[in-house]
Amino acid sequence: MIINRRHFLRAAGVSLALPLLDKRVFGAPMAPPRRMVCICTPLGLHAPNFFPEKAGREFALTPYLESLREFRNDFTVISGLAHPGIENGHDSMYSFLTAAPHPELRTGFRNTISLDQFAAERIGTETRFPSLALSGEGFSLSWTRSGALVPSHTSPARLFASLFIEGRPDEVQAQNQRLRDGQSILDKVGDQAKSLQAGLGAGDRDKLDEYFTSVRELEQRLAKAEEWSKKPKPKVDAKQPQDIPNPADLLGRTRLMFDLTHLALQTDSTRLITILLSGASLVPPIQGVSMAHHDLSHHGQDPTKLAQLKIVEVETLKVLRDLLAKLKQSKEDGGTVLDRTIVFFGSNLGNGSSHSCRNLPALLAGGGFKHGQHLAFDAKNGPPLSNLFVSMLQKLGIESDKFGSSSGCLTGLA
Amino acid sequence: MCQPINVRPAMSWLCAFTWLLCLIRSGLADDNTFKEKAQPFFAQHCQECHKGTKPKGDFHLDRLPPDFDDPENRERWLNVQKRLQTGEMPPKEKPRPPQAEIRALNDWITRQLAAAAARRSAEGRVVLRRLNRVEYENTMRDLLGIDIELKQLLPPDTSSHGFDNVGEALHISSFLLERYLEAADAALNVAIANGLQPPLVKKRYSLKDERIVKVDTERVYRSLDDGLVMFSSSQWNAITVGQFYPSDRGKYRVRILASGVQSSGKPVSFRIDVGPMLMGTVNHLVNYYDVPPDKPTIVEFVDHFEARNHFRISPYGLANAQTVSKVGAEKYDGPGLAVQWVEVEGPLHDRWPPESHRRIFGDLPQAPVPDRNFSKRVEVVSKDPEADAQRILRNFARRAFKRAVTDADIHPVLALVKEKLAVKQSFEQAVRVGLKAILVSPDFLFLREKPGRLDEFALASRLSYFLWSTMPDEELLSLAEKKSLGDPETLRQQVERMLNSPKAKAFTENFVGQWLNLRDIDFTSPDFRLYPEFDELLKTSMVNETHLFFNEVLKNDLSLTSFVASDFTFVNERLAMHYRIPGVEGHAYRKVKLRPESHRGGVLTMASVLKVSANGTNTSPVIRGAYVLDRILGTPPAPPPAGVPVVEPDIRGATTIRQQLAKHRQIASCATCHTKIDPPGFALESFDVIGGWRDYYRSVGNGKEVKIDGRRMPYLQGPKVDPADALANGEKFRNIDELKQLLLKDKDQLARALTEKLLTYATGAVPTAADREEIETIVRKVRDKGYGFRTLVHQVVESGLFRNK
Repeated sequence: MIINRRHFLRAAGVSLALPLLDKRVFGAPMAPPRRMVCICTPLGLHAPNFFPEKAGREFALTPYLESLREFRNDFTVISGLAHPGIENGHDSMYSFLTAAPHPELRTGFRNTISLDQFAAERIGTETRFPSLALSGEGFSLSWTRSGALVPSHTSPARLFASLFIEGRPDEVQAQNQRLRDGQSILDKVGDQAKSLQAGLGAGDRDKLDEYFTSVRELEQRLAKAEEWSKKPKPKVDAKQPQDIPNPADLLGRTRLMFDLTHLALQTDSTRLITILLSGASLVPPIQGVSMAHHDLSHHGQDPTKLAQLKIVEVETLKVLRDLLAKLKQSKEDGGTVLDRTIVFFGSNLGNGSSHSCRNLPALLAGGGFKHGQHLAFDAKNGPPLSNLFVSMLQKLGIESDKFGSSSGCLTGLA
Repeated sequence: MCQPINVRPAMSWLCAFTWLLCLIRSGLADDNTFKEKAQPFFAQHCQECHKGTKPKGDFHLDRLPPDFDDPENRERWLNVQKRLQTGEMPPKEKPRPPQAEIRALNDWITRQLAAAAARRSAEGRVVLRRLNRVEYENTMRDLLGIDIELKQLLPPDTSSHGFDNVGEALHISSFLLERYLEAADAALNVAIANGLQPPLVKKRYSLKDERIVKVDTERVYRSLDDGLVMFSSSQWNAITVGQFYPSDRGKYRVRILASGVQSSGKPVSFRIDVGPMLMGTVNHLVNYYDVPPDKPTIVEFVDHFEARNHFRISPYGLANAQTVSKVGAEKYDGPGLAVQWVEVEGPLHDRWPPESHRRIFGDLPQAPVPDRNFSKRVEVVSKDPEADAQRILRNFARRAFKRAVTDADIHPVLALVKEKLAVKQSFEQAVRVGLKAILVSPDFLFLREKPGRLDEFALASRLSYFLWSTMPDEELLSLAEKKSLGDPETLRQQVERMLNSPKAKAFTENFVGQWLNLRDIDFTSPDFRLYPEFDELLKTSMVNETHLFFNEVLKNDLSLTSFVASDFTFVNERLAMHYRIPGVEGHAYRKVKLRPESHRGGVLTMASVLKVSANGTNTSPVIRGAYVLDRILGTPPAPPPAGVPVVEPDIRGATTIRQQLAKHRQIASCATCHTKIDPPGFALESFDVIGGWRDYYRSVGNGKEVKIDGRRMPYLQGPKVDPADALANGEKFRNIDELKQLLLKDKDQLARALTEKLLTYATGAVPTAADREEIETIVRKVRDKGYGFRTLVHQVVESGLFRNK
């Protein structure tokens, strides 16, 4: 029944979330929403402080995991993962959630779809925002099927406003006018597809095709946005945050993004979020830290730097702990938001000092997995990170047995 | 890709014929040769190492079909050919295949490449490319006549072959398109005036009235009857002129009356920044200025201020707050900056509505419209909306599309405007929708080029985006309209005109920024314990040096070998100090003659290049060596094979990177590449992460104390630098100076490498193996003119690769 109605809406080009109440009217048991948050800290985590020595459930908490002590049974730490074909360098960030090989090549790299966008194509239709890409940098972790970067939200204040604040009547009216104008513009532009594509070579045709596909997708999105704009936005107790203009303030900015993540998930405004933390060449305002974060990651085994790096990374993990705590405290339908939210925290670098992309730090929390263990794989010959991604997709209820460079799902994870 | 399939006898002869055509087209007709020649060769000489699940160098011969149309597969074949030609493969310790066999395989590959290139050239080498965000912002600026930052509204672009204007890497998505709609709104809101002219404000302020001065507890400012002296260069003692707080955006003229005091007859310097001046927000540097001692002098600049922006005065090179504070500004006898007053005038508008508004609407009148937030809002009105809209849109589209437009081009947009008028949107609002439609249409966002020889308009655009990173100006467009741009003499004159224009700054910034990677100058910040002498001015100066040097070579048609070695460069006082060049005072840059013992000259030994090829802590001969191979010699190394552990840097002073790498080079599979990569990197080890000369590494762990002018440095003296090595061909060098001479031996290769970079940047597509001959022609012509770099730019523009899609 539900399926039929939603299919009907989709066919009409207006696939909207049915608020929870609506769904109950139809009487069918409702599957709880499945959500995913993927977080990347782009300068890596110092491995000896992060990975436990012992595998299995009996591992001793390391200095970094110590921060997450109270969640010991809510997370799994995984060692030995890597993306095949992705070697050393910061460019590996582009492929963190896509697994596209050789982003470090200066020649002809083309990215593929990222995990969140792949999921959004399947489960992103029910919420006001199909997905959200947050970032402390200019880049985001999210890429479209055509290999285009999904622009990131870098202002928590603005994003908060679009999630939760109803504009003044004249602002709403102006915004709706813009949405309608946008649709009529795209409609007219889209009409020209045929005439423009005549007589072109294959390469040019592909490019124009990409353009006209974007026109159609945006037209649909604007139509949906117009529909959504008629529904009241969810109310939250939190106040609109103030953006932190200081780009060095790693922790403050991370906290703002995490707080917003919690609110967006709790209100079911979106179910898919990616977050790229900043890795600035600036000194973060943290007690005991006097050197720039990027500089610290190139520690060259210098004990002073290692000590400061540890402070930065422990503090970052503490901010993650607070996010987990908020998700766990938020109850819904007899469970917690954390139970239905996969939180994946990791890095594209296994060693920030040498730029190695082997043995990537990976921490998985919530989402309904059985946690409380250290899944240890051979750092030299571990499974592809994409195997974890397949496991995550399946937990989201997406029947997919392949993603990126996967060779299956991740063994040992249930 | 057509695969040989079972052709059932029932298939009509037509089908069979089509199938045959397909085979010919895709080069599979040569499949027999592949089976007869290539496969046995591979089986005998290569497969031993390159098969199975873990082949050496991650190179899978069993995944190398004879398909030359697929770009990635083609690159693999090129890789095979290159290694065959250089004799790098099979490796030295394996038996050599007979020369005849190598030649046969080499020729076969060459034929396949040429055939694939011919197939491609029918479509054109350059794929349809959209404007990148720099080009987009510049184009909007010139199209609308506005000054606005739009870049940050758009996601960063991805690049290919080192340049972010390469069409194949520039994708479009619904998300990007949405941003284009928003950017168009933002730009039109600035271009179109909906209010009365903002009043011109002219005011003079005294720094004594600034809050930071009034509450000064550090005692770093001295009040004079007619001004204020600033003694401290500490960041927090800089003065943001809070009294000036403009409510309207626009251009403002700022004048500052200032002089040096107690400066022993020397000028005193300061920098000016403009921006929101909130903690951590991005402000922009206006410039560094010098004022003479004791003689108040006016410093004047005109800059764009957004509403509520401020400007800030930061003295440079004076003492820090602590030093001044100890005795207090009243008694302090060191140098200071006296500022008598600052004066601000603006926003400066020649006329109202501004030029940007008239460019769209001409002289159409404006009338008040009710608006709840903005009581004096006016909008353009029209007595004959349809006719006016048609004229406005046609005019606008011609420039936005960068070509002559027809009624058919305008028709859909005009229809849109009529629809909006029909539902009672106002004239201006309806026209704005039409303008927005033009600004998101493919004719605006893409550089449209038809296969074959470029038409006049496409040529104008290609030229303009090459040398100016923006749309063609009126002169280029009207030459294209007259169909005379393509005439070789005209084209030559236009290139000269364009290179001489201030807009050519974009060529320097964007080409050099990517060719030499100077855009990454802020990617790392040097460790302040190891490099306490590093400061913002040094960073700014090093980038300016490279830009000025490039301009000089370009302007005077100097040999492109100057990029490897030259007897001159550009410095100001700060950079001269860094390079240990005596006798340079003040912030003005000047050309200086370099003595041989300076070890400078050419780009490789410029601080900017040395900084971007290092991180903030240590240098790596591998990274720097690869940089030289890729950017200067045009022979980028292959990426390291999978699974090789990376050398772990160690700055504790016990081992050098050279000792660590020596182990690396003992492994045969590493040595193949590293005998080429490492040598230039070793020579560059004589320069630290900020491009300073070093005989010894700096260390934070082990080593001797270092004193400069009696002051103990926060770092220690580490191991001695050993810059000597030998190139892969055995030629030895003792230091960077000798290495430069070795690099200069093959001038053709330097020219070839730079030609390829220029062609990639100029056309938005990398040249391929099939273009080798044309590149050789360019190299030959440039060689005849003493390798002149300006000649090279002309030759690139004249080449078939530039003139054809």
